[in-house]
Amino acid sequence: MARLESALRDRKLDRTLTTALPTWERRDDSAAVAIDIAALDASLRGGLPRGQLSEIVGPASSGRTALVLQTIAASTRRGEIAALVDTFDRLDVASAAAAGIDLERLLWVRGPSISLGTSIAGSLDPSTAFGARSASDGQDAAVNRALKAMNLVLQAGGFGCVVLDFADVPPVALRRIPFTTWLRVQRIIDGSDTACVLIAPYPLARSAGGLTLSLAGRVRWTSDADRSRHLTGADIDVRIVSPRRRVDGQVSITAFATTAADDKPQRHGDTETNFFTSVPLVSAARNP
Amino acid sequence: MFAALYVARGSSFETLLGVARDFSPRIETCGSREVVLDLDGLTRLFGDAKSIADEVRRTAADRGLRIRIAIAGTRTAARLFVRDRAGITIVESGNDAATLAVLPLSLLARISHRNDPNDPDDSNDPNDSNDLLTTLRRWGLRTLGDLAALPADEVAARLGQTGVAWQRLARGEDPAPLVPSVPEERFEQALDLEWPIDGLEPLSFVLARLMEPLSAHLERRDRGAAVLHVRLHLVKRDGVTREVHQRSLQLPAPMRDARTLRTLALLDLESHPPSAAIDRVVVAVDPTPGRVVQFSLLTRPLPSPEQLSTLMARLTALMGEGRCGSAITVDSWEPGVFDMKPFAPRDSHDVRSHGPQRLRDTENKTCLGDIAASAPRLAIRRFRFPIPARVRVDLGIPVRVTSDRRGISGGKVETYAGPWRTSGGWWVEDIKKCWERDEWDVTLSDGATYRVFRERDTDAWFIEGVVD
Repeated sequence: MARLESALRDRKLDRTLTTALPTWERRDDSAAVAIDIAALDASLRGGLPRGQLSEIVGPASSGRTALVLQTIAASTRRGEIAALVDTFDRLDVASAAAAGIDLERLLWVRGPSISLGTSIAGSLDPSTAFGARSASDGQDAAVNRALKAMNLVLQAGGFGCVVLDFADVPPVALRRIPFTTWLRVQRIIDGSDTACVLIAPYPLARSAGGLTLSLAGRVRWTSDADRSRHLTGADIDVRIVSPRRRVDGQVSITAFATTAADDKPQRHGDTETNFFTSVPLVSAARNP
Repeated sequence: MFAALYVARGSSFETLLGVARDFSPRIETCGSREVVLDLDGLTRLFGDAKSIADEVRRTAADRGLRIRIAIAGTRTAARLFVRDRAGITIVESGNDAATLAVLPLSLLARISHRNDPNDPDDSNDPNDSNDLLTTLRRWGLRTLGDLAALPADEVAARLGQTGVAWQRLARGEDPAPLVPSVPEERFEQALDLEWPIDGLEPLSFVLARLMEPLSAHLERRDRGAAVLHVRLHLVKRDGVTREVHQRSLQLPAPMRDARTLRTLALLDLESHPPSAAIDRVVVAVDPTPGRVVQFSLLTRPLPSPEQLSTLMARLTALMGEGRCGSAITVDSWEPGVFDMKPFAPRDSHDVRSHGPQRLRDTENKTCLGDIAASAPRLAIRRFRFPIPARVRVDLGIPVRVTSDRRGISGGKVETYAGPWRTSGGWWVEDIKKCWERDEWDVTLSDGATYRVFRERDTDAWFIEGVVD
């Protein structure tokens, strides 16, 4: 295999048609939205490119949301405004605040609160009237609305980072999105200062100028002991794929948890005083 | 040259204002019975000062008013004379101080306030003026000339700035330039339609026609719209019944762009359409001073309020009321609770103050930025309505989690942590706000990590979200 790759490299056949195009030339800091993760920003040559559609893809619990919230937080810290088009209303506001997002500078566009795989009529938030439809119709409607909302936000301009969350959209609904949709999105943001980010279970847009960050994550627990175990974070492997920017590579980062183990023992007020303990109840009961 | 008009108690002040406006656009109201006019340029229209005074008095008489008129070189002199003398008083230009010298000192107490001290609506307390007047009388001063003749520095040393101000008034000097009173303008446009129109598309053309002159009017007055009112007069099918469909839009920032105002009105009417055909359209705005924007070379400009308002209106029309905006954290431990507010980001250079405080903030920000950098936080992807789950429990520990919902494959629990018991809201009457549950973090055999919880009162299990 190594010999084959070497031979291809000698004959300059190790590139696809898109990688043979000229390298993306904008090198100044303002040409990218930094994620504020030093190792990743270094690999990405500054961050996610502005004026391009990038993707963060991976399975559930791979750290997609953590990375996106970190990107938005970095953007709002720099004084920019950001937008999150939340197709199925999945954003946890406490997680967003813990990530360091200036919530006042984040435009949150909430789609219908659809539970996974349920009839839309029974699971919609009462404030939105979609009527009784089948689940797939409801998901398609939510996806279309999210795309329209993203178009409106992009056309308004002025946003440093616009995120479209398709992470929980079923593959069937994703396959029904015409590929020209992404070309239109690319056309809108082309030349602007907005970095558009798509979260999805697998690559959808495959933009030539943008990046695809493919994530694989493993959550970390404190110990093997039942008594003291809690979630501390995740090790996230980020594989960078970029057709034109030549920043392909792999980076490992660590995300820290803001989960039950972090915040529950510190809770005050509403929580019953008897359970102000960091030791899980069952484990404590099982330990004589 | 200035004229002071003083009307008898009980007469209509509005009528007096109307008389004054008939002669000059530059008028200043002084209390509820007195108006001062700037007469510059009127001599070419009416002749000398006497002719002007006669004409003003005749016009007032035609409208049922009996007024005093005094014309002098300064406003102060005119006001003092009109308070002292009935009928018409004309003071030759340059003789103000000499003519004023004989007037009694008590007049100063009456004009030293902007409002009339005799007016029962007057909120100023004249006690200070009376004290000063008593002091001056104790010094043996009786006329304005007596006060004007005193050395200014000695007056300042003994009476302070108030004494100096009184002395300047006694000399007939104006304390400030005339500030013209601008009549309250109505920013309103209306159009009667020959034939009733139905639907929003034809209405958009009508609105465009109305908004443009309205916008131009606002621009001329350097005003912006704070509230936009749209009144549609509807005619029912029977052609007789009429009703008014009224909408008011609170705008987040003063704006006067015709296209933006029209778009906002149309988007609002899309959500709240009129119930019948329209035969009259009225558009009005509540004006507010125009917006002054200082742009920065160092920060990225935010979208203008017009752009943001239009965007928010379009998004609200698309996604529904309350589905777009900024999230607010709520001071509560109730899981997943939050609130929404309109999206209105401030300019980054507005957020911080200038000077040392700004520097300290920058230092803090840098420190926090260093801490925050390279430390992403795992997040929860929260199901707004928790998903019911089937959980097999062994010795109080969940060992298998499954759900009927597509998208959650479920499986054997590989690793777990918990439970963390929380409860709250039991002190409020609304049972929906009460919770009592045990939370677990579980990693299933499908590789995903979920937060699940058991409701203690029903013993039902739910999936709250995915750790991602």
